[in-house]
Amino acid sequence: MSTTTLPPDGFTPAPKLADVLPPRKERSKLGMFAYRHPTIAVGGFMVSLFVLMAIFAPLLWTVDPTALAPARRTRPPSELYWFGTDMLGRDVYSRVIYGARISLIVGFGVAICAASIGLFIGLISGFIRAVDAVVMRIMDGMMSIPSILLAIAMMALTRASVENVIIAITIADVPRVSRLVRGVVLTLREQPYVEAAIAAGTRTPMIIIKHILPNTLAPVIVQATFLCASAMIAEATLSFIGAGTPPIIPSWGNIMAEGRALWQVKPYIVFFPAVFLSITVLSVNLLGDGLRDALDPRMAKRI
Amino acid sequence: MFAYTVRRVIATIPVMGIVALFVFSLLYIAPGDPAAIIAGDQATPEDVERIRASLGLDRPFIVRFLEWLFRVLQGDLGVSIFTNLPVSHMIKQRLEPTFSLMLLTLTFALSCAIPMGVVAAWKHGTWIDRFVMLFAVLGFSVPVFVVGYVLAYTFALQLDWFPVQGYTPLSNGIGGWVSNLTLPAVALGSAFIALIARITRATMLEVLNQDYVRTAKAKGVGQRAILFVHALKNAAVPIITIVGIGFAGLIGGAVVTESVFAIPGVGRLVVDAILRRDYPVIQGVVLMFSFTYVIVNLIVDLLYTVFDPRIRY
Repeated sequence: MSTTTLPPDGFTPAPKLADVLPPRKERSKLGMFAYRHPTIAVGGFMVSLFVLMAIFAPLLWTVDPTALAPARRTRPPSELYWFGTDMLGRDVYSRVIYGARISLIVGFGVAICAASIGLFIGLISGFIRAVDAVVMRIMDGMMSIPSILLAIAMMALTRASVENVIIAITIADVPRVSRLVRGVVLTLREQPYVEAAIAAGTRTPMIIIKHILPNTLAPVIVQATFLCASAMIAEATLSFIGAGTPPIIPSWGNIMAEGRALWQVKPYIVFFPAVFLSITVLSVNLLGDGLRDALDPRMAKRI
Repeated sequence: MFAYTVRRVIATIPVMGIVALFVFSLLYIAPGDPAAIIAGDQATPEDVERIRASLGLDRPFIVRFLEWLFRVLQGDLGVSIFTNLPVSHMIKQRLEPTFSLMLLTLTFALSCAIPMGVVAAWKHGTWIDRFVMLFAVLGFSVPVFVVGYVLAYTFALQLDWFPVQGYTPLSNGIGGWVSNLTLPAVALGSAFIALIARITRATMLEVLNQDYVRTAKAKGVGQRAILFVHALKNAAVPIITIVGIGFAGLIGGAVVTESVFAIPGVGRLVVDAILRRDYPVIQGVVLMFSFTYVIVNLIVDLLYTVFDPRIRY
């Protein structure tokens, strides 16, 4: 008689695991990502919405944003003019939709330029002591000039154009990125694997590109997102005080600058671009917050 | 302490030197030849050359920089192209509104942001915390002039609680001064509050986990005393650091706020100067604000030793 035969009578076999546990929620890869990083999902979704809006501006029931119609000036928002018309009869709705282009171009342009230049300077000065002392003193000096003032001063020197706005804001932002990258590089170069690479005779450019650069990318991407948001505000600020994008180009700052004279009687001219600007900047900031939590847990703990 | 102070003050000199060099270069490369402008349309190239030499404009960059620096140190910032008045005089006339606005904003922002951050850290994870964090993200995202217009429209135009625009000097009574500056200070303070509340919350979260906070709790120290005496004092260094760094944003914001609320301060001066391409004025204001920023951060550095006696460099 063996003891390991059939179960005794009255024993019901164990139910299948799948019947006991609640069904595992089936999430697509995208859904899983959104569940884990809600801020990235919301911010990213809203940013892409604004990007699409900027690209497809001509298809969004807009008219020529620069078309003058003095006879129909300062009309309040209506079915025909959704956001009203400004003092020259231009359709504020069309201007606001087209204005997204400038804000996004300046935001992304500054983020990309400042991040790459700052990355370059930071890598070099973090790794080469002789360069470090000089470059960082210069950066300290530049950082002592409030960035919007630095941008104002540079815009005063040049002709108003979108490129010059990007350059001026980039120059004001580069010191911050360089400092950040340099700080990361200084801690990385003490890491055993970098020492090992040096000991193995790897040449400095190779060490910087293969061993240091990849580890600086996460904080730089996070920083670039925040730079994008602040550059949009900076562009609007510069245009608002008359030192930014040329008045002929509809940008959110320019629309507000033009609406300024009339804001007490026709507040909607200032109101609509202000709302669009704020929501766009908010989306980019949300994206940045999410990216920071996901990519850079050390920083997330601190702030 | 004294040695530390002296060392810190000396350390700011090279920074200020680089700021001065940078600002001088801006004017140096500014378009427009002053000699040609002074000489007028009828002048021959020789005349222009003579005027250039008499103004000292033909000498090398470094000589002109040192001469300019020497004059700046004596308080001479040059003469405005537009009004022909000394720039230092023009700035001095407009200092009071700007200084008042900054002082009021700083007071208002600190007295809002620090309690907000402390309470958010204390009630970590609750709806109060979420609300403060939401405010912090919003404060960063809404530009100063947008906040300004919303406030002015609501509280000045619709409710008529405050004047819409303008400035009343302090010498005309404190009532008008405060009521004129309240809305600008709130508008300018919004981003600053967001920044400080965020840092206060983050630092307080760290500090509240320390052993000495537990000890204080065990001793039966009251909640308020723990938060505002034991914990806040230890969280002070990061907070004042960010106040110093954020001061740059405050300066930039003041330029815009003064435009929105028509306050005749230094910010308005520089905005008007941009429209007229009045380079000496732009240069003077940038220099003045930058030095202010450096000095504020010097004060912050010196305050470290007050809040944290362990710091002895």
